[in-house]
Amino acid sequence: MQKLLLAVDRLSTFVGRVFAWSIVLLTLLVSWEVFSRYVLNHPHPWALDAQIMLYGILFMMAGAYTLAHQGHVRGDILYGSFSPRTQAGIDLVLFILFYLPGVLALTWAGWTYANESLAIRENTFSPDPLPLYPFKFVIPVAGALLLIQGLVEILRCIVCLRDGNWPPRQKDVEEIDVEELKAMVSDGQSEGVKP
Amino acid sequence: MKKELLFGFGLMAVILLAIAVFTPWTTLTNGHIGMIMLALIVVAMMMGFPSAFTLMGMGVLFTWYAYHSVDPHTAVQQTLDLTVQRTYGVMTSDVLIAVPLFLFMGYLVERAKLIKKLFHAIHIATARIPGSLAVATLVTCAIFATATGIVGAVVTLMGLLALPAMLRAGYDTRLSSGVIAAGGTLGILIPPSIMLIVYGATAGESVVRLYAGAFFPGLLLATLYIIYVVVMAKLKPHWAPPLDEEARRVALPWHLEKLATRYGRFALPGLVRATFTRDSDVPRRLAGRELLLASLPALAFVLVMGLAWNSMTRPQETYDTSGLVEMGLSGDTPEALGRDEDAGPGISEPPPEEESAPSVSEPPALEEPPALAEPPALEEPPAALEEPPAVTEPPLEETLAEPEAQLPPTLEEAVEAPANAAESGRLAAPAAFWETLAIGFAALAVLYFLLSFPRLEVFRMLLTSFFPLAVMILGVLGSIVFGLATPSEAAAIGALGGFILAAIYLAMDLPQDVRRKIWPVWIVLWAVFLASVIWFMLFKAQVITQPVPPLLGWVSMSAFLLWAVLASWQAKLITMLKESVFLTAKTSTMVCWLFVGASIYSAAFSLLGGHQVVEEWVLSMNLTPIQFLILTQLIIFVLGWPLEWTEIIVIFMPIFVPLLAHFNIDPLFFGILVALNLQTSFLSPPMAPSAFYLKGVAPPNVSLGQIFLGSMPFLGIVIVAMILLYVWPEIALWLPAKLYN
Repeated sequence: MQKLLLAVDRLSTFVGRVFAWSIVLLTLLVSWEVFSRYVLNHPHPWALDAQIMLYGILFMMAGAYTLAHQGHVRGDILYGSFSPRTQAGIDLVLFILFYLPGVLALTWAGWTYANESLAIRENTFSPDPLPLYPFKFVIPVAGALLLIQGLVEILRCIVCLRDGNWPPRQKDVEEIDVEELKAMVSDGQSEGVKP
Repeated sequence: MKKELLFGFGLMAVILLAIAVFTPWTTLTNGHIGMIMLALIVVAMMMGFPSAFTLMGMGVLFTWYAYHSVDPHTAVQQTLDLTVQRTYGVMTSDVLIAVPLFLFMGYLVERAKLIKKLFHAIHIATARIPGSLAVATLVTCAIFATATGIVGAVVTLMGLLALPAMLRAGYDTRLSSGVIAAGGTLGILIPPSIMLIVYGATAGESVVRLYAGAFFPGLLLATLYIIYVVVMAKLKPHWAPPLDEEARRVALPWHLEKLATRYGRFALPGLVRATFTRDSDVPRRLAGRELLLASLPALAFVLVMGLAWNSMTRPQETYDTSGLVEMGLSGDTPEALGRDEDAGPGISEPPPEEESAPSVSEPPALEEPPALAEPPALEEPPAALEEPPAVTEPPLEETLAEPEAQLPPTLEEAVEAPANAAESGRLAAPAAFWETLAIGFAALAVLYFLLSFPRLEVFRMLLTSFFPLAVMILGVLGSIVFGLATPSEAAAIGALGGFILAAIYLAMDLPQDVRRKIWPVWIVLWAVFLASVIWFMLFKAQVITQPVPPLLGWVSMSAFLLWAVLASWQAKLITMLKESVFLTAKTSTMVCWLFVGASIYSAAFSLLGGHQVVEEWVLSMNLTPIQFLILTQLIIFVLGWPLEWTEIIVIFMPIFVPLLAHFNIDPLFFGILVALNLQTSFLSPPMAPSAFYLKGVAPPNVSLGQIFLGSMPFLGIVIVAMILLYVWPEIALWLPAKLYN
């Protein structure tokens, strides 16, 4: 069971991390376009479309990754002070009540939406058109990943309800990693502030 | 029962009770269902399920309900269409695209390891101010939080760095912790901040105007914090005891120490003598380096004024006058540049707009002597200042005698100015220019009079920590606010800037012999890159008439890319880069999926007619604008206790903003008030993220209660700032009005 949970986590993490690198591409593309347009006076009409696609792909494909590492913002006021069993109960109900209908609708609708776009070989509206349908297929793919990850989360809730504590997750970079921040502040003590 | 549970369940009970009492159960309309949905979302979000999916799920279900009540047959299909279109709308938002870029910049800067240097430098620089450590903490927080925009990281870092320092210096625990908790949150207010983008995207307000508007209120709040600390340190010295002599002393490197004992107080003459004579035992190369450092302010000033003089007095060209932004930009069009090239050096046609102005005759540039095409060498702006080519020189007396022709910022005057120049070749520089020059020289004189060796050392410390960040922030913000770049472009350049900062700071940590090896390569690559940038700037400043050749441009770009690859490998940036990339992905996903959810949710809300119900209800109360403002801000303030700012903005702004028109409130002004107000959501118990981050790293004897108590005065100051902003809306509205109207 735990193996299955972690395998799906790893899949989401892998996909999310691969597409996370599009932020680097996005940064380089925007900077290159700025340089090319201002300094070389040579703008590219397709650049803006490509930038928007990179941004859209970035957050859509990282949705499951973020869910797998509990990165989506949640109201913590009550949740944090509940016991794991209560937390799992709430999560289980809300996953079935809110998450599944929402993500199912998105995946299903995204699939037809992208196929319609494929049928007419839709392009961006620009002097240098880019094909738009691959971008639209991101919606059902991201939705499907979220669906799988959501099912795994539901399993986690059930495991937690049975065992009374949350099954462990993989570690990932944290925004506030106290140990790492401590290292950042403490190395080279000689320069430290002497009050 | 825990206090949080009591509070949470209490709030839920109040909301559910309000639904039960106020809903007219017998005559239920769709609008009322919308209101129930609004109340339920607050309750559901407090349950702790990820908000993005709560919003999405509820939105989809209620959308289906709304369509179903109209036509049960097509309801499912319509719901599906709406869901996917709303999602696609967020995916193609050209406003939100700036969010990941700014986050990326923030994470890179955060990992550049410069906060310690920054704090140390500011601390030494402010050592004489009462409550200096607290003031230094606030300034560091403000700068670092503005550059990174990550509240949690700033509070945690400062909790590790500044809190122990303040406690050791005998500062009051509450004051110390309040300063950090409040200072760290400034990052979401002072632009460039993510919050204003999120508000702009939800409220349909221009992010550029929001940035211009939030600049002064952000500074105001930071200044009020600092004033509070200084006043408290004066009134209650035991809260913030002054530092002793030893702590205030600036540790000088050995050669400066020697020079200081040899030459005494005045650093500049001492350095000149040490560099050019042999009367000290400090190597002349070292002394020369210090002299160069000391003369940086003067060099920068002369360079700026020289370039300004050059472009101000250039015939026909009006690039630098603020009133003529469009003209300057129109010069960027290929036609305009093409014509420039065709016409040969020295001749430039007026931009198209000018042609319509009656007062401009045909370009008199042809009469210009070719000497003008030979621009004064830019490397030596002093020369340009002192001895410009004789033909072009406007005699100083003449300039001073004709002040009426010299204030160019308005369109008419600026357009008239070139006509004036037909005779003299070069325009007379405006009187304001000479005034600035005089003031600048006076300031430099005072500066160098005050410059002692310890102050030189402080200057060096600031130069290596404070200035790079300040330049980066002001560069990003300035290019957005002055319309040179869109927020996403500025953010991308900012992210590159963050990468460069990180590379340089991490490279400085490398062992000496490794550094020796990599510097030459870096310098060569940078020189190649800067070649086109400097060429471009000179071209823009009209010193060079040729635009940058494409080949050079490509070589420069490749050089930069090569440097970036080399640097990530040599300075061991790979780990840092990876972490920043993953964190950026996770945080932007969090924000953008919240948008997906909220956009489906708010579609459901309007389908149900919730907006009409809210509107009727608010209008039936006959509120005055001020009452309406207080009511909405109070709601936001209270919601800030249990919820986070992202949730508050994406759910409640679509409801409040359409109402603003009824009360004649500017959505820009409202946005700034909201941004100020949401500062409190970080500080107000029971859910005060700032306080919890700080508690996570504070010494065990600092209790959460003390942190909350310490934050209270700052919470009060936020409210004072909001009142000030209400009384003088110009604080926010002056700059946008000045720039964009």
